[in-house]
Amino acid sequence: MSAVLRYETKLGELPTLTGTPTHYCAGCEHGTLTRLLASAVDARGARERAVLVSSVGCSVLAHEYLNLDAVQAPHGRAPAVMAGIKRVRPDLLVFGVQGDGDAVSIGLLELMNAANRGEPISIFLVNNAIYGMTGGQMAPTTPPGMVTTTTPAGRDVASTGRPIDATKLLLGLEGPSYIRRVFLPVAPTSSPDTFNARGALEGEAAIRHAFETQERGGFSFVEFVSTCWVNWKVSILESKRYAARVLAPLFPPGLYRDRFGVEGR
Amino acid sequence: MKRETIVAGHGGQGVLELATWLAYSQLVRGRHVAYTPSYGPETRGGKVRCYVVASDDPIASPIVETPDLLIVMNTPSMDFVPSLRPGGTLLVNRSLVGDVPAHPELHVVEVPATQLAADLGPSFPEAGPDTSIAANAVMLGAVLALEGGRWPDEAPIVDRVLRHYLTDRKAALLPLDAAAAETGFRSIRDPSSERAPPARTVAA
Amino acid sequence: MSDPPEFLKGNEALAYGALRAGLTAFYGYPITPSSEIPETLAAAFGRPSYPRFRVFLQAASELEAINLAIGSAATGARTMTATSGPGFSLKQEGISYAAAMELPLLIVNVNRAGPGLGNLGPEQSDYFQATRGGGHGGYRTIVLAPDSVAEMARMPSLAFALAFRYRTPVIVLADAFLGQLKEDLELPEVAAEAVETPWAVTGALGRERHVLASIHLELADQNRHSRHLQEKFATIGRLEQRAEDVATDDADVVIVAYGICARIARAAVVALRDRGCKVGLLRPISLAPFPRDRIDDLVLSGVRRFLVLELNHGQMVDDVQLAVAGRAEVRSVTEVGGLLPSMAALGAAVESMSDRPASFVDAEEVDA
Repeated sequence: MSAVLRYETKLGELPTLTGTPTHYCAGCEHGTLTRLLASAVDARGARERAVLVSSVGCSVLAHEYLNLDAVQAPHGRAPAVMAGIKRVRPDLLVFGVQGDGDAVSIGLLELMNAANRGEPISIFLVNNAIYGMTGGQMAPTTPPGMVTTTTPAGRDVASTGRPIDATKLLLGLEGPSYIRRVFLPVAPTSSPDTFNARGALEGEAAIRHAFETQERGGFSFVEFVSTCWVNWKVSILESKRYAARVLAPLFPPGLYRDRFGVEGR
Repeated sequence: MKRETIVAGHGGQGVLELATWLAYSQLVRGRHVAYTPSYGPETRGGKVRCYVVASDDPIASPIVETPDLLIVMNTPSMDFVPSLRPGGTLLVNRSLVGDVPAHPELHVVEVPATQLAADLGPSFPEAGPDTSIAANAVMLGAVLALEGGRWPDEAPIVDRVLRHYLTDRKAALLPLDAAAAETGFRSIRDPSSERAPPARTVAA
Repeated sequence: MSDPPEFLKGNEALAYGALRAGLTAFYGYPITPSSEIPETLAAAFGRPSYPRFRVFLQAASELEAINLAIGSAATGARTMTATSGPGFSLKQEGISYAAAMELPLLIVNVNRAGPGLGNLGPEQSDYFQATRGGGHGGYRTIVLAPDSVAEMARMPSLAFALAFRYRTPVIVLADAFLGQLKEDLELPEVAAEAVETPWAVTGALGRERHVLASIHLELADQNRHSRHLQEKFATIGRLEQRAEDVATDDADVVIVAYGICARIARAAVVALRDRGCKVGLLRPISLAPFPRDRIDDLVLSGVRRFLVLELNHGQMVDDVQLAVAGRAEVRSVTEVGGLLPSMAALGAAVESMSDRPASFVDAEEVDA
């Protein structure tokens, strides 16, 4: 933890931001997402009726940065906590940020069942293909061959299975109303050493659509393909190139379901 | 007044139901009651044993170790006979258990409950092909008779108990079970009735 | 004939008791022998007589159930979950978080025989798990133990009152016997009291935001929070001990028993007193906090023999020993596996204690 805490990334000023410097590493999409969430909550004017559920992983302190009522859930259980809040207080805008280990490994049951019941909540999954907070162990989304601290010879799919595609798993259920995957990192362009930030724009739009879906009574899920240069043990720029080269084909971005047509408006 | 009863039989004989009815028949008389179902998976054919305690005073323990009344619905349940209190009553379903030898310290009463219930079939075609399931209602009537009640004075109690429990889909069984209870009662207290062969009280 | 009283199973009575105590949200996963609790609540859901009962959900797992409950409790809603042994183990993670976040929450454990899958018979073998916190980290909860169907119905009201007064999870520890036992009872009145929940997560409308979190990365923060929790439980320990005395005034031997064992002991006290044996019963109603002050009173009033009756290998006996602190003889009588101790065995144990001098006697008494 202390190694992570030395970073102090500032996110700017918005009513839904506390202004507390974050513990997120420079170049990490968690910081980006926090800013986008605040922006989307404010765009909806929902700060005083929104509840954040933070999870276990790098998003564990999300409630320190988002200026909202918040509950911090046990590891993997955020969807259940969100549903428990929403069921007694359907007037609240309830959303949570989860990592891939939290949502897709230890918390897969909670994610799948909240989705299957179509709980009107919004879940934002940061998929950076590794356990960040605990120091770089294999995640359910780790690509084949990736070196982690628990797969020092690279992920061997014969022994550990193939990466789990959470978006496609949810697509197998009738419950979810909105499913989108966004490539959040800055993306390499055809010009060398030039990147575009289209992912952040798409990301904020996806969050707004997820909120709209929730308030129409549907379950919404957005997976953000992200990076973790610290635990991938590469430079920040190389992490963005790796994400574009390896993760984007493995987890293709796009709109997978929009039952209420919120994106067409 | 305090009376402790054990009802024993196999799954599917309505043992739990009979014990509940007996408890409720005491409840409507204003007594405190405690009913304990037997433990174990309640699959058909499994061993079932229930406790019923009825008392004018609050009940200390609902557990029955030495019953005043033991109702035995099938042969394996005769295993419980040694637990009966000296002077206690053993009420036996003779249809399945057969004749019971006389016992010097017990009051043994045999009622052919399964047979009496099956014999009601022709009168209750709507109850299905096999009315022997009403053997437990026969025993309910028999117990009311053993308690010293008179017919038809006891009919409202039977009616109240059955109406409380036979609701929804089970309501169709109400006429059969009411008739079975009356048959059981008369098998003890009205040996002259043509419909009901008399119970056999085994003399010591 | 007038309307008879209610005649319900313990589990059913508890469910109605919770409804009358203003239950708002229930989450549970089926497990014998506690499933009548969700079944009764499912049947009552939507009835106009319980307008405050707004959420019933069968969860996908015990873990999901306790975490759904955490979410609802965080909003200040009266929330309950119910389970039995194996499910109680699974819920411990959530109970630890709820204790840390100081959430009022009612958890019912209808104790069955164990360890592992065990069987469906009654045991009291989850006593340690319930009274020592049970999950990770240093915390305690309040644990209440009913001994009749009527008390199963009354317990949710007390449990919710304590849960909200102290902002803590409260466990009702029943046993399989009480859950399945049917007795006559009068259901408690419907509670009307509204509880203030100024800490709840409800959206930060016109006020400072509320954050319910159990993470305290600064060591000093965690230290402060842990001390706060322990001080709270110390206060509960002083103020919320509950026990019932049966014929302890002149007793030579005091049986200590809760749940179904207390019922057996009640009958034993009557039978043994008829035979001239001066025996009484102390029935802990709160297992945590343990009614150690009552034990202390009994010791100070001269009781030198305690017999602890439980359906486990001897767990509550430790708490009795701690309260007695070497000042009296403490004997443990136990039964396990879903079986119950017989009256005869209990009577023999009591009489063997009362017929001879206490094996503990302090020096002054020997001299006397």
